[in-house]
Amino acid sequence: MSNSMDHLISPREFQQTEMNCLTYRRLKLEDPRHLPNAALAHMRACPACERFSIEINESEAHLAAVLDVPIPEGLADRIILQRKLHGKTNWTWLANAFSNTSPRLYALAASVVLTIAIIGNLSKNFNSQDITSHDYAKLAIAHVKHEPEAFTNVRDVDPEYLRTVMHNFGGTLQAPLGRVRYMTLCPVAGGTGWHIVFETEDGLATLILVPTQKMDVPSIQASEDGWTAIAQPGGQGYYAIITHSAESLKKVDALVKQRVRWES
Amino acid sequence: MIAILHQRQFDQTVRAYSADLYRYAYWLCRDRFTAEELVQETFARAWKSWGSLTEMAAVKSWLITILRNERARLYERKQLDMVDIDLQDLDIPSLHQAGEQLELEQLLAELPESYREPLLLQVLGGYSCDEIAAMLGTTEGAVMTRLTRARQALRANLEGLDQKLGHHSTVKGVK
Repeated sequence: MSNSMDHLISPREFQQTEMNCLTYRRLKLEDPRHLPNAALAHMRACPACERFSIEINESEAHLAAVLDVPIPEGLADRIILQRKLHGKTNWTWLANAFSNTSPRLYALAASVVLTIAIIGNLSKNFNSQDITSHDYAKLAIAHVKHEPEAFTNVRDVDPEYLRTVMHNFGGTLQAPLGRVRYMTLCPVAGGTGWHIVFETEDGLATLILVPTQKMDVPSIQASEDGWTAIAQPGGQGYYAIITHSAESLKKVDALVKQRVRWES
Repeated sequence: MIAILHQRQFDQTVRAYSADLYRYAYWLCRDRFTAEELVQETFARAWKSWGSLTEMAAVKSWLITILRNERARLYERKQLDMVDIDLQDLDIPSLHQAGEQLELEQLLAELPESYREPLLLQVLGGYSCDEIAAMLGTTEGAVMTRLTRARQALRANLEGLDQKLGHHSTVKGVK
């Protein structure tokens, strides 16, 4: 007679003993890629569970695609550089390292400094209790600088989705703004907002919809590091347009005003 | 000689896992700067203890554990609120009104952390339920329940979207 304690079985192994549709589906939802043989055999014999399996596999593929967010450029290089900088403590080594190194390492070091500066500045802005309407255009620029992949990722969003999002935000899209290349939800001061990149005759333009913050001025403009932005009240909060030049900003602002009717 | 070997191992580990760790951190905190900060801190701490690492095969789960600790430390330092709410209490106003990928992104971001974290570990990390249970300090059964509920929540909302758009119906027959 065997002692039951001799073989401790896991919950998944235990479930193999009673295989039916319910058990199969539970196992599939728990770990779609690792199913016991009994579950696979059941799936092959049961058309309904086979369809269920296909559906789950499809949604897993979607999930994997969504989780696959872009990695900041040079992340691994920066970590390794950090290890190199902290691996030694005397300044002679540091001086030698930089005197013998390639321009690429200088660039990396510069990017580390720049990243730290941006992080500090942005964190200060986002966490500050003293943010006023006057900061909204600068915040919008910081947001765009923070997500450069928004300009390189092309998702080709259905214009209808933009119409719906705009409607929920409190605006009516009376005519398309242009080809919407990128649209995503982003953390913004006070909650979650939409980050939209669309094509215009003057190049790419960014529209940020911030639903939770009201403006107490009619508009505010800012320019920084080659970016120009304007923030204005609209919908449930405010919206910001960001472009590469004051001239294109003026045109895109006029386009948005012409094509979006804001509910007040 | 050992120092050079350690440096080489460390650099290879950074190149192999920094992307996965970043994605994991990003989906935990939903902020790119914080995610990068967490990954940098994780590897900085890992490097300090690199000599004590005895099993290279377990390096990824070791890094994930460091990252989770760093995150807890960061949240404590910045006194950020971590709120875990029930699925039924979620308010996702525009859930059925945008594209499937956007919907999934939003829903994933809104999942309670106790559901989202095991899902991330399984989909991004490829860990089994018992490995996830060990990392999260809970039971395998609890992880299985959370994974099932997480996927059910995602499916229920996406099915709602499908039905609204008149797409295919979902499987109903159960023996």
